[in-house]
Amino acid sequence: MNLLEIRGLYHDFSGLQVLFDVNLEVKEGERHAIIGPNGAGKTTLFNVITGSYRPPRGQIIFKGNDITGCKPHQLARLGIGRSFQITSSFSKLTAFQNIRMGILSKKGIRFNLVRNVDKMKEVTAETDEMLRRINLETEREIPAELLSYGKHRSLEVAMALSTEPELVMLDEPTAGMSKEETHYAIELIRRLTEGRTMLIIEHDMDVVFSLADRITVLHLGRVLATGSPQEIRENQQVKDAYLGETED
Amino acid sequence: MKNRPVKVILWALFLGVLVFYPSLFGLYFTNIFVIFSIYALYATTFNYLLGYTGLLSFGHAMFFGIGGYGTAIALERIQGLPLLPAIIIGALAAVMLALILCPLLVRVSGTAFAMLTLAFGQLMHVLALKLRWLTGGEDGVGGFPIPPFHIPGVISLDITDPKKFYYFAMVVLALSMWVIWFFTKTPFGSIQTGIRDNPRRVEYLGFKLPHTKAVVFIISGGFAGVAGSIYALFQNLISADDAFGIGNSFAPIIMTVVGGIESFFGPIFGSAILSFIDELTSRYTERVEIVTGLILILVIMFAPKGFSGFLRFMRGKWLSPPNANPALEETK
Repeated sequence: MNLLEIRGLYHDFSGLQVLFDVNLEVKEGERHAIIGPNGAGKTTLFNVITGSYRPPRGQIIFKGNDITGCKPHQLARLGIGRSFQITSSFSKLTAFQNIRMGILSKKGIRFNLVRNVDKMKEVTAETDEMLRRINLETEREIPAELLSYGKHRSLEVAMALSTEPELVMLDEPTAGMSKEETHYAIELIRRLTEGRTMLIIEHDMDVVFSLADRITVLHLGRVLATGSPQEIRENQQVKDAYLGETED
Repeated sequence: MKNRPVKVILWALFLGVLVFYPSLFGLYFTNIFVIFSIYALYATTFNYLLGYTGLLSFGHAMFFGIGGYGTAIALERIQGLPLLPAIIIGALAAVMLALILCPLLVRVSGTAFAMLTLAFGQLMHVLALKLRWLTGGEDGVGGFPIPPFHIPGVISLDITDPKKFYYFAMVVLALSMWVIWFFTKTPFGSIQTGIRDNPRRVEYLGFKLPHTKAVVFIISGGFAGVAGSIYALFQNLISADDAFGIGNSFAPIIMTVVGGIESFFGPIFGSAILSFIDELTSRYTERVEIVTGLILILVIMFAPKGFSGFLRFMRGKWLSPPNANPALEETK
Protein backbone atom coordinates (compact mmCIF):
# COMPACT_ATOMS: atom_id res chain seq x y z
CA MET A 1 0.00 0.00 0.00
CA ASN A 2 1.21 3.48 -0.78
CA LEU A 3 1.68 5.75 2.22
CA LEU A 4 2.58 8.72 0.07
CA GLU A 5 1.65 9.23 -3.52
CA ILE A 6 2.54 12.18 -5.71
CA ARG A 7 0.72 12.65 -9.00
CA GLY A 8 1.75 15.03 -11.76
CA LEU A 9 3.37 17.56 -9.48
CA TYR A 10 4.64 20.85 -10.91
CA HIS A 11 6.28 23.73 -9.14
CA ASP A 12 7.89 26.98 -10.18
CA PHE A 13 9.46 29.98 -8.50
CA SER A 14 7.99 33.04 -10.23
CA GLY A 15 8.45 31.56 -13.68
CA LEU A 16 11.48 29.41 -13.02
CA GLN A 17 10.19 25.87 -13.48
CA VAL A 18 11.67 23.58 -10.83
CA LEU A 19 9.50 20.47 -10.87
CA PHE A 20 7.94 18.91 -13.99
CA ASP A 21 5.27 16.28 -13.77
CA VAL A 22 6.80 14.51 -10.79
CA ASN A 23 5.23 11.17 -9.91
CA LEU A 24 6.33 9.29 -6.84
CA GLU A 25 5.05 6.45 -4.74
CA VAL A 26 6.34 5.66 -1.30
CA LYS A 27 5.16 2.28 -0.03
CA GLU A 28 4.39 1.71 3.60
CA GLY A 29 7.46 0.58 5.51
CA GLU A 30 9.99 1.18 2.78
CA ARG A 31 13.10 3.32 2.81
CA HIS A 32 12.89 5.44 -0.26
CA ALA A 33 15.81 7.60 -1.36
CA ILE A 34 15.73 10.56 -3.69
CA ILE A 35 18.96 11.25 -5.47
CA GLY A 36 19.95 13.70 -8.14
CA PRO A 37 22.55 16.31 -8.94
CA ASN A 38 22.50 19.75 -7.36
CA GLY A 39 19.57 21.81 -8.55
CA ALA A 40 17.53 18.74 -9.47
CA GLY A 41 14.68 19.97 -7.28
CA LYS A 42 15.02 17.50 -4.41
CA THR A 43 14.66 19.97 -1.58
CA THR A 44 11.89 21.81 -3.43
CA LEU A 45 10.03 18.53 -3.71
CA PHE A 46 10.44 18.06 0.05
CA ASN A 47 9.25 21.57 0.71
CA VAL A 48 6.18 21.12 -1.46
CA ILE A 49 5.31 17.83 0.23
CA THR A 50 5.68 19.29 3.73
CA GLY A 51 3.63 22.38 2.98
CA SER A 52 6.20 25.16 2.60
CA TYR A 53 4.89 25.87 -0.89
CA ARG A 54 1.58 25.24 -2.53
CA PRO A 55 2.11 23.58 -5.90
CA PRO A 56 0.35 25.12 -8.93
CA ARG A 57 -0.48 21.67 -10.33
CA GLY A 58 -0.50 18.13 -9.08
CA GLN A 59 -1.72 16.12 -6.17
CA ILE A 60 -0.13 14.84 -2.99
CA ILE A 61 -1.90 11.91 -1.38
CA PHE A 62 -0.99 10.77 2.13
CA LYS A 63 -2.73 7.72 3.59
CA GLY A 64 -5.36 8.04 0.89
CA ASN A 65 -6.17 11.68 1.69
CA ASP A 66 -5.40 14.61 -0.56
CA ILE A 67 -3.02 16.81 1.41
CA THR A 68 -2.08 19.21 -1.37
CA GLY A 69 -1.83 22.72 0.05
CA CYS A 70 -2.01 21.72 3.70
CA LYS A 71 -0.01 23.82 6.16
CA PRO A 72 3.20 22.48 7.77
CA HIS A 73 1.62 22.13 11.22
CA GLN A 74 -1.36 20.20 9.80
CA LEU A 75 0.96 17.81 8.00
CA ALA A 76 3.02 17.34 11.14
CA ARG A 77 -0.14 16.40 13.01
CA LEU A 78 -1.18 14.01 10.23
CA GLY A 79 2.09 12.15 10.71
CA ILE A 80 4.76 13.64 8.48
CA GLY A 81 7.99 14.60 10.23
CA ARG A 82 10.92 16.18 8.49
CA SER A 83 14.47 17.29 9.07
CA PHE A 84 16.31 20.07 7.29
CA GLN A 85 19.37 20.17 5.12
CA ILE A 86 20.64 23.19 7.03
CA THR A 87 20.42 22.31 10.72
CA SER A 88 17.33 23.96 12.08
CA SER A 89 17.22 23.43 15.82
CA PHE A 90 16.26 25.72 18.68
CA SER A 91 19.74 27.10 19.09
CA LYS A 92 19.54 28.54 22.60
CA LEU A 93 17.58 25.64 24.06
CA THR A 94 19.32 22.57 25.41
CA ALA A 95 19.40 19.27 23.55
CA PHE A 96 16.80 18.02 26.01
CA GLN A 97 14.49 20.98 25.42
CA ASN A 98 14.84 20.59 21.66
CA ILE A 99 13.66 17.00 21.73
CA ARG A 100 10.98 17.79 24.31
CA MET A 101 9.36 20.17 21.86
CA GLY A 102 8.61 17.24 19.57
CA ILE A 103 7.43 15.04 22.44
CA LEU A 104 5.02 17.78 23.57
CA SER A 105 3.64 18.01 20.04
CA LYS A 106 3.24 14.26 19.79
CA LYS A 107 1.25 14.26 23.02
CA GLY A 108 -0.89 17.13 21.77
CA ILE A 109 0.25 19.39 24.62
CA ARG A 110 0.01 22.79 22.98
CA PHE A 111 -1.72 25.32 25.19
CA ASN A 112 -1.05 23.94 28.64
CA LEU A 113 -0.55 26.88 30.99
CA VAL A 114 -1.25 25.14 34.28
CA ARG A 115 1.53 22.59 34.72
CA ASN A 116 5.25 22.88 35.22
CA VAL A 117 6.71 21.21 32.17
CA ASP A 118 9.79 20.02 34.09
CA LYS A 119 7.52 18.05 36.39
CA MET A 120 5.71 16.18 33.61
CA LYS A 121 7.32 12.82 34.23
CA GLU A 122 6.15 11.05 31.10
CA VAL A 123 7.35 13.83 28.83
CA THR A 124 10.73 13.89 30.58
CA ALA A 125 11.07 10.12 30.40
CA GLU A 126 10.26 9.96 26.70
CA THR A 127 12.62 12.83 25.95
CA ASP A 128 15.44 11.17 27.86
CA GLU A 129 14.72 7.91 26.06
CA MET A 130 15.16 9.65 22.71
CA LEU A 131 18.37 11.34 23.91
CA ARG A 132 19.66 7.94 24.96
CA ARG A 133 18.88 6.45 21.56
CA ILE A 134 20.92 9.11 19.80
CA ASN A 135 23.74 8.93 22.38
CA LEU A 136 23.29 12.48 23.54
CA GLU A 137 22.69 11.79 27.24
CA THR A 138 25.84 13.56 28.37
CA GLU A 139 24.95 16.57 26.24
CA ARG A 140 21.47 16.78 27.76
CA GLU A 141 21.94 20.27 29.22
CA ILE A 142 24.05 21.77 26.45
CA PRO A 143 22.47 24.42 24.22
CA ALA A 144 22.03 23.10 20.70
CA GLU A 145 24.23 25.81 19.22
CA LEU A 146 27.20 24.56 21.27
CA LEU A 147 26.93 20.93 20.15
CA SER A 148 29.56 19.53 17.82
CA TYR A 149 28.49 19.37 14.18
CA GLY A 150 27.86 15.64 14.11
CA LYS A 151 25.84 15.70 17.32
CA HIS A 152 23.88 18.70 16.16
CA ARG A 153 22.96 16.74 13.02
CA SER A 154 21.88 13.78 15.16
CA LEU A 155 19.69 16.15 17.13
CA GLU A 156 18.19 17.44 13.90
CA VAL A 157 17.19 13.94 12.84
CA ALA A 158 15.96 13.05 16.32
CA MET A 159 13.69 16.10 16.35
CA ALA A 160 12.08 14.93 13.12
CA LEU A 161 11.51 11.54 14.74
CA SER A 162 10.42 12.82 18.13
CA THR A 163 6.82 13.30 17.02
CA GLU A 164 6.78 9.63 15.96
CA PRO A 165 5.68 10.36 12.42
CA GLU A 166 4.43 7.66 10.09
CA LEU A 167 6.47 9.17 7.30
CA VAL A 168 9.95 10.44 8.14
CA MET A 169 11.46 12.81 5.62
CA LEU A 170 15.18 13.46 5.98
CA ASP A 171 16.79 16.12 3.83
CA GLU A 172 20.45 15.23 3.46
CA PRO A 173 21.01 14.17 7.05
CA THR A 174 24.71 13.64 6.37
CA ALA A 175 25.35 16.97 4.63
CA GLY A 176 28.76 18.32 5.51
CA MET A 177 29.84 15.25 7.43
CA SER A 178 33.13 13.42 7.18
CA LYS A 179 33.17 9.84 5.93
CA GLU A 180 33.35 8.56 9.48
CA GLU A 181 30.57 10.79 10.76
CA THR A 182 28.43 9.80 7.78
CA HIS A 183 28.88 6.15 8.58
CA TYR A 184 27.87 6.74 12.19
CA ALA A 185 24.90 8.89 11.21
CA ILE A 186 23.58 6.33 8.76
CA GLU A 187 23.77 3.55 11.33
CA LEU A 188 21.88 5.84 13.69
CA ILE A 189 19.22 6.58 11.09
CA ARG A 190 18.89 2.92 10.23
CA ARG A 191 18.32 2.11 13.89
CA LEU A 192 15.94 4.99 14.60
CA THR A 193 13.74 4.48 11.56
CA GLU A 194 13.35 0.75 12.07
CA GLY A 195 9.86 -0.19 10.92
CA ARG A 196 9.04 3.32 9.73
CA THR A 197 8.48 4.67 6.28
CA MET A 198 11.27 6.99 5.27
CA LEU A 199 11.90 9.34 2.41
CA ILE A 200 15.48 10.51 2.34
CA ILE A 201 17.52 12.86 0.18
CA GLU A 202 21.13 11.77 0.08
CA HIS A 203 24.22 12.54 -1.95
CA ASP A 204 26.53 9.78 -0.84
CA MET A 205 25.96 6.90 -3.28
CA ASP A 206 27.38 4.26 -0.96
CA VAL A 207 24.91 5.35 1.67
CA VAL A 208 21.99 5.37 -0.73
CA PHE A 209 22.66 1.95 -2.15
CA SER A 210 23.16 0.39 1.25
CA LEU A 211 20.24 2.07 2.99
CA ALA A 212 17.43 2.41 0.48
CA ASP A 213 14.86 -0.19 -0.56
CA ARG A 214 13.91 1.89 -3.56
CA ILE A 215 15.45 4.90 -5.24
CA THR A 216 14.01 7.72 -7.29
CA VAL A 217 16.37 9.72 -9.46
CA LEU A 218 15.46 13.34 -10.00
CA HIS A 219 17.14 15.26 -12.78
CA LEU A 220 16.36 18.83 -13.82
CA GLY A 221 13.03 18.64 -12.03
CA ARG A 222 11.89 15.41 -13.69
CA VAL A 223 11.82 11.86 -12.45
CA LEU A 224 14.39 9.99 -14.46
CA ALA A 225 13.84 6.58 -12.97
CA THR A 226 12.45 4.75 -9.98
CA GLY A 227 13.42 1.32 -8.87
CA SER A 228 15.45 -0.92 -6.62
CA PRO A 229 19.12 -0.02 -6.06
CA GLN A 230 20.05 -2.76 -8.53
CA GLU A 231 17.74 -1.41 -11.25
CA ILE A 232 19.00 2.12 -10.73
CA ARG A 233 22.61 1.01 -10.92
CA GLU A 234 21.95 -0.61 -14.26
CA ASN A 235 19.78 2.12 -15.74
CA GLN A 236 21.55 3.63 -18.72
CA GLN A 237 19.73 6.98 -18.49
CA VAL A 238 20.74 7.36 -14.87
CA LYS A 239 24.31 6.47 -15.66
CA ASP A 240 24.43 9.11 -18.36
CA ALA A 241 22.83 11.83 -16.31
CA TYR A 242 24.30 11.28 -12.93
CA LEU A 243 26.15 8.23 -11.83
CA GLY A 244 28.66 8.39 -14.64
CA GLU A 245 29.78 11.81 -13.54
CA THR A 246 30.59 10.79 -10.02
CA GLU A 247 32.71 7.90 -11.17
CA ASP A 248 35.09 10.15 -13.07
CA MET B 1 19.71 21.17 44.84
CA LYS B 2 22.67 22.63 46.62
CA ASN B 3 21.70 26.28 46.65
CA ARG B 4 18.24 25.69 47.97
CA PRO B 5 18.75 26.84 51.60
CA VAL B 6 20.54 29.95 50.37
CA LYS B 7 17.68 30.67 48.04
CA VAL B 8 15.05 30.22 50.75
CA ILE B 9 16.92 32.56 53.10
CA LEU B 10 17.33 35.18 50.40
CA TRP B 11 13.66 35.04 49.49
CA ALA B 12 12.64 35.23 53.16
CA LEU B 13 14.92 38.22 53.64
CA PHE B 14 13.48 39.88 50.55
CA LEU B 15 9.94 39.25 51.75
CA GLY B 16 10.79 40.66 55.18
CA VAL B 17 12.17 43.84 53.65
CA LEU B 18 9.05 44.10 51.48
CA VAL B 19 6.75 43.85 54.50
CA PHE B 20 8.61 46.38 56.65
CA TYR B 21 9.68 48.64 53.81
CA PRO B 22 7.16 51.47 54.47
CA SER B 23 8.06 51.63 58.17
CA LEU B 24 11.77 51.46 57.43
CA PHE B 25 12.06 53.99 54.63
CA GLY B 26 9.11 56.32 55.04
CA LEU B 27 6.41 57.53 52.72
CA TYR B 28 8.56 59.12 50.04
CA PHE B 29 10.56 56.02 49.26
CA THR B 30 7.48 53.85 49.61
CA ASN B 31 5.87 55.74 46.75
CA ILE B 32 9.02 55.39 44.66
CA PHE B 33 8.95 51.69 45.36
CA VAL B 34 5.34 51.42 44.18
CA ILE B 35 6.20 53.11 40.90
CA PHE B 36 9.20 50.84 40.52
CA SER B 37 7.03 47.77 41.09
CA ILE B 38 4.43 48.89 38.58
CA TYR B 39 7.13 49.30 35.98
CA ALA B 40 8.71 46.02 37.00
CA LEU B 41 5.47 44.22 36.09
CA TYR B 42 5.08 46.31 32.95
CA ALA B 43 8.63 45.51 31.81
CA THR B 44 8.12 41.85 32.68
CA THR B 45 5.10 41.65 30.38
CA PHE B 46 7.20 43.31 27.69
CA ASN B 47 9.99 40.79 28.13
CA TYR B 48 7.40 38.00 27.96
CA LEU B 49 7.07 39.10 24.33
CA LEU B 50 10.68 39.97 23.55
CA GLY B 51 12.82 37.69 25.68
CA TYR B 52 10.59 34.64 25.60
CA THR B 53 8.97 34.85 22.18
CA GLY B 54 11.31 37.10 20.21
CA LEU B 55 8.69 39.75 19.45
CA LEU B 56 9.92 43.33 19.77
CA SER B 57 7.03 45.68 20.41
CA PHE B 58 7.44 49.42 20.00
CA GLY B 59 3.93 50.11 21.21
CA HIS B 60 3.59 48.21 24.45
CA ALA B 61 2.26 51.36 26.13
CA MET B 62 -1.08 50.80 24.39
CA PHE B 63 -1.82 47.95 26.80
CA PHE B 64 -0.53 49.82 29.83
CA GLY B 65 -2.53 52.87 28.80
CA ILE B 66 -5.78 51.14 27.99
CA GLY B 67 -5.55 49.27 31.30
CA GLY B 68 -5.18 52.58 33.12
CA TYR B 69 -7.96 54.28 31.18
CA GLY B 70 -10.20 51.25 31.54
CA THR B 71 -9.99 51.30 35.32
CA ALA B 72 -10.13 55.10 35.59
CA ILE B 73 -13.14 55.50 33.31
CA ALA B 74 -14.96 52.58 34.93
CA LEU B 75 -14.53 54.10 38.38
CA GLU B 76 -15.53 57.53 37.11
CA ARG B 77 -18.68 56.41 35.28
CA ILE B 78 -19.99 53.47 37.30
CA GLN B 79 -21.29 54.46 40.71
CA GLY B 80 -20.14 52.27 43.57
CA LEU B 81 -17.96 49.98 41.46
CA PRO B 82 -15.74 47.92 43.78
CA LEU B 83 -11.98 47.93 43.33
CA LEU B 84 -11.27 44.47 41.99
CA PRO B 85 -13.86 44.60 39.19
CA ALA B 86 -12.39 47.98 38.24
CA ILE B 87 -8.93 46.45 37.87
CA ILE B 88 -10.40 43.51 35.99
CA ILE B 89 -12.14 45.94 33.62
CA GLY B 90 -8.75 47.57 32.97
CA ALA B 91 -7.10 44.22 32.31
CA LEU B 92 -9.98 43.07 30.11
CA ALA B 93 -9.77 46.27 28.08
CA ALA B 94 -6.13 45.42 27.39
CA VAL B 95 -7.07 41.83 26.54
CA MET B 96 -9.76 43.11 24.14
CA LEU B 97 -7.25 45.36 22.45
CA ALA B 98 -4.83 42.46 22.10
CA LEU B 99 -7.64 40.29 20.71
CA ILE B 100 -8.56 42.91 18.14
CA LEU B 101 -4.98 43.44 17.01
CA CYS B 102 -3.68 39.90 17.08
CA PRO B 103 -5.19 38.61 13.82
CA LEU B 104 -2.96 41.14 12.09
CA LEU B 105 0.05 41.14 14.40
CA VAL B 106 0.57 37.39 14.74
CA ARG B 107 1.17 37.04 11.03
CA VAL B 108 4.21 39.30 11.01
CA SER B 109 7.46 39.32 12.92
CA GLY B 110 10.68 41.30 13.18
CA THR B 111 10.62 44.82 11.79
CA ALA B 112 7.06 44.56 10.50
CA PHE B 113 5.85 43.59 13.97
CA ALA B 114 7.79 46.43 15.58
CA MET B 115 6.45 49.00 13.11
CA LEU B 116 2.86 47.81 13.36
CA THR B 117 2.92 47.91 17.15
CA LEU B 118 4.45 51.39 16.94
CA ALA B 119 1.65 52.49 14.63
CA PHE B 120 -1.11 51.06 16.82
CA GLY B 121 0.52 52.54 19.91
CA GLN B 122 0.48 55.97 18.32
CA LEU B 123 -3.08 55.45 17.17
CA MET B 124 -4.12 54.79 20.75
CA HIS B 125 -2.34 57.96 21.81
CA VAL B 126 -4.27 59.99 19.25
CA LEU B 127 -7.54 58.35 20.23
CA ALA B 128 -6.91 59.20 23.89
CA LEU B 129 -6.33 62.81 22.89
CA LYS B 130 -9.29 63.10 20.53
CA LEU B 131 -12.08 61.16 22.23
CA ARG B 132 -12.51 63.94 24.79
CA TRP B 133 -16.00 62.90 25.91
CA LEU B 134 -14.51 59.62 27.09
CA THR B 135 -10.87 60.28 27.92
CA GLY B 136 -10.83 63.93 28.86
CA GLY B 137 -8.35 64.75 26.12
CA GLU B 138 -5.00 66.05 27.30
CA ASP B 139 -6.17 66.38 30.87
CA GLY B 140 -6.88 62.69 31.07
CA VAL B 141 -9.12 61.09 33.64
CA GLY B 142 -8.43 62.17 37.19
CA GLY B 143 -9.99 62.52 40.58
CA PHE B 144 -12.14 59.45 40.14
CA PRO B 145 -13.34 57.78 43.35
CA ILE B 146 -11.07 55.06 44.66
CA PRO B 147 -13.05 52.40 46.50
CA PRO B 148 -11.50 50.41 49.33
CA PHE B 149 -10.04 47.00 48.69
CA HIS B 150 -12.86 44.99 50.16
CA ILE B 151 -13.41 41.27 50.32
CA PRO B 152 -16.42 40.66 52.58
CA GLY B 153 -15.48 38.94 55.78
CA VAL B 154 -11.79 38.85 54.93
CA ILE B 155 -10.28 42.25 54.49
CA SER B 156 -11.17 45.88 54.02
CA LEU B 157 -8.33 48.20 53.15
CA ASP B 158 -8.64 51.91 52.47
CA ILE B 159 -6.08 52.21 49.74
CA THR B 160 -6.15 56.00 49.60
CA ASP B 161 -3.74 55.68 52.49
CA PRO B 162 -0.33 55.42 50.75
CA LYS B 163 0.98 52.81 53.13
CA LYS B 164 -2.05 50.59 52.60
CA PHE B 165 -1.89 51.19 48.88
CA TYR B 166 1.67 49.93 48.99
CA TYR B 167 0.60 46.59 50.47
CA PHE B 168 -2.33 46.28 48.11
CA ALA B 169 -0.19 47.08 45.07
CA MET B 170 2.56 44.69 46.14
CA VAL B 171 0.12 41.80 46.40
CA VAL B 172 -1.47 42.45 43.00
CA LEU B 173 1.83 43.11 41.22
CA ALA B 174 3.74 40.27 42.82
CA LEU B 175 0.89 37.88 42.11
CA SER B 176 0.79 38.98 38.47
CA MET B 177 4.54 38.56 38.12
CA TRP B 178 4.36 35.15 39.74
CA VAL B 179 1.65 34.06 37.28
CA ILE B 180 3.76 35.20 34.33
CA TRP B 181 6.79 33.49 35.81
CA PHE B 182 4.79 30.28 36.17
CA PHE B 183 3.56 30.56 32.58
CA THR B 184 7.17 30.58 31.39
CA LYS B 185 7.67 27.23 33.15
CA THR B 186 4.71 25.49 31.50
CA PRO B 187 4.74 23.51 28.26
CA PHE B 188 3.33 26.60 26.59
CA GLY B 189 6.32 28.61 27.83
CA SER B 190 8.56 25.99 26.33
CA ILE B 191 6.88 26.33 22.93
CA GLN B 192 7.21 30.11 23.24
CA THR B 193 11.00 29.90 23.54
CA GLY B 194 10.93 27.61 20.54
CA ILE B 195 9.20 30.32 18.53
CA ARG B 196 11.88 32.77 19.64
CA ASP B 197 14.68 30.50 18.43
CA ASN B 198 13.15 29.04 15.29
CA PRO B 199 9.52 29.76 14.38
CA ARG B 200 9.65 27.64 11.22
CA ARG B 201 10.70 24.52 13.09
CA VAL B 202 7.90 25.03 15.60
CA GLU B 203 5.42 24.83 12.74
CA TYR B 204 7.04 21.73 11.29
CA LEU B 205 6.75 20.06 14.68
CA GLY B 206 2.99 20.53 14.56
CA PHE B 207 2.30 23.72 16.49
CA LYS B 208 0.09 26.38 14.99
CA LEU B 209 2.23 29.49 15.04
CA PRO B 210 -0.36 32.29 14.79
CA HIS B 211 -2.55 30.85 17.54
CA THR B 212 0.37 30.36 19.89
CA LYS B 213 1.62 33.89 19.28
CA ALA B 214 -1.89 35.25 19.82
CA VAL B 215 -2.11 33.66 23.27
CA VAL B 216 1.31 35.10 24.18
CA PHE B 217 0.20 38.50 22.97
CA ILE B 218 -3.04 38.40 24.96
CA ILE B 219 -1.30 37.32 28.19
CA SER B 220 1.36 39.99 27.79
CA GLY B 221 -1.19 42.70 26.97
CA GLY B 222 -3.56 41.70 29.76
CA PHE B 223 -0.92 41.92 32.48
CA ALA B 224 0.46 45.16 31.05
CA GLY B 225 -3.13 46.36 31.47
CA VAL B 226 -3.00 45.35 35.15
CA ALA B 227 0.19 47.42 35.56
CA GLY B 228 -1.51 50.39 33.92
CA SER B 229 -4.58 49.93 36.08
CA ILE B 230 -2.53 50.02 39.30
CA TYR B 231 -0.68 53.04 37.94
CA ALA B 232 -3.95 54.92 37.39
CA LEU B 233 -5.12 54.02 40.90
CA PHE B 234 -1.83 55.12 42.41
CA GLN B 235 -1.81 58.51 40.71
CA ASN B 236 -5.59 58.83 40.80
CA LEU B 237 -5.01 60.16 37.31
CA ILE B 238 -4.26 58.80 33.87
CA SER B 239 -3.37 61.11 31.01
CA ALA B 240 -2.71 60.53 27.33
CA ASP B 241 0.99 61.43 27.33
CA ASP B 242 1.71 59.53 30.51
CA ALA B 243 -0.10 56.40 29.40
CA PHE B 244 0.25 56.20 25.63
CA GLY B 245 3.27 58.47 25.04
CA ILE B 246 6.10 57.01 23.02
CA GLY B 247 8.34 57.37 26.06
CA ASN B 248 6.13 54.94 27.90
CA SER B 249 6.55 52.40 25.10
CA PHE B 250 10.30 52.74 25.23
CA ALA B 251 10.57 52.58 29.02
CA PRO B 252 10.12 48.79 29.18
CA ILE B 253 12.51 48.34 26.26
CA ILE B 254 15.24 50.25 28.09
CA MET B 255 14.50 48.48 31.36
CA THR B 256 14.64 45.08 29.72
CA VAL B 257 17.88 45.81 27.89
CA VAL B 258 19.55 47.29 30.97
CA GLY B 259 18.29 44.52 33.23
CA GLY B 260 18.99 41.68 30.85
CA ILE B 261 16.79 40.16 28.18
CA GLU B 262 17.72 36.55 28.82
CA SER B 263 16.46 36.37 32.37
CA PHE B 264 12.99 36.54 33.84
CA PHE B 265 14.23 38.87 36.57
CA GLY B 266 16.18 41.06 34.13
CA PRO B 267 13.37 43.57 33.51
CA ILE B 268 12.76 43.78 37.27
CA PHE B 269 16.42 44.61 37.87
CA GLY B 270 16.22 47.06 34.99
CA SER B 271 13.20 48.76 36.46
CA ALA B 272 14.97 49.02 39.82
CA ILE B 273 18.15 50.43 38.30
CA LEU B 274 16.30 53.00 36.22
CA SER B 275 14.04 54.05 39.10
CA PHE B 276 17.13 54.54 41.21
CA ILE B 277 18.90 56.58 38.52
CA ASP B 278 15.77 58.58 37.88
CA GLU B 279 15.43 59.39 41.57
CA LEU B 280 19.10 60.31 41.91
CA THR B 281 19.54 62.43 38.80
CA SER B 282 16.23 64.23 39.00
CA ARG B 283 17.58 66.00 42.09
CA TYR B 284 20.19 67.72 39.98
CA THR B 285 18.74 68.00 36.52
CA GLU B 286 15.49 67.70 34.64
CA ARG B 287 17.19 65.95 31.77
CA VAL B 288 17.04 62.46 33.24
CA GLU B 289 16.91 60.98 29.74
CA ILE B 290 20.52 62.04 29.09
CA VAL B 291 21.72 59.84 31.93
CA THR B 292 19.34 57.01 31.06
CA GLY B 293 20.42 57.14 27.42
CA LEU B 294 24.07 57.11 28.36
CA ILE B 295 23.57 54.07 30.55
CA LEU B 296 21.65 52.32 27.77
CA ILE B 297 24.55 52.91 25.38
CA LEU B 298 27.10 51.70 27.91
CA VAL B 299 25.11 48.56 28.64
CA ILE B 300 24.67 47.74 24.96
CA MET B 301 28.37 48.28 24.31
CA PHE B 302 29.91 46.61 27.33
CA ALA B 303 27.29 44.34 28.87
CA PRO B 304 24.91 43.24 26.11
CA LYS B 305 23.35 40.69 28.44
CA GLY B 306 22.43 43.42 30.88
CA PHE B 307 22.57 43.40 34.64
CA SER B 308 21.38 39.82 35.04
CA GLY B 309 24.01 38.70 32.55
CA PHE B 310 26.58 40.50 34.67
CA LEU B 311 25.23 38.81 37.81
CA ARG B 312 25.43 35.41 36.18
CA PHE B 313 28.96 36.15 35.07
CA MET B 314 29.98 37.09 38.62
CA ARG B 315 28.26 34.07 40.10
CA GLY B 316 29.99 31.83 37.60
CA LYS B 317 33.28 33.38 38.60
CA TRP B 318 32.98 33.31 42.38
CA LEU B 319 30.29 30.93 43.46
CA SER B 320 29.86 27.93 41.20
CA PRO B 321 32.02 24.90 41.93
CA PRO B 322 34.52 24.20 39.18
CA ASN B 323 33.67 21.42 36.74
CA ALA B 324 30.03 21.42 37.74
CA ASN B 325 29.29 20.07 34.30
CA PRO B 326 32.44 18.93 32.54
CA ALA B 327 30.66 18.38 29.25
CA LEU B 328 29.43 21.95 29.29
CA GLU B 329 32.84 23.34 30.18
CA GLU B 330 34.35 21.40 27.35
CA THR B 331 32.11 22.87 24.71
CA LYS B 332 32.78 26.38 25.90
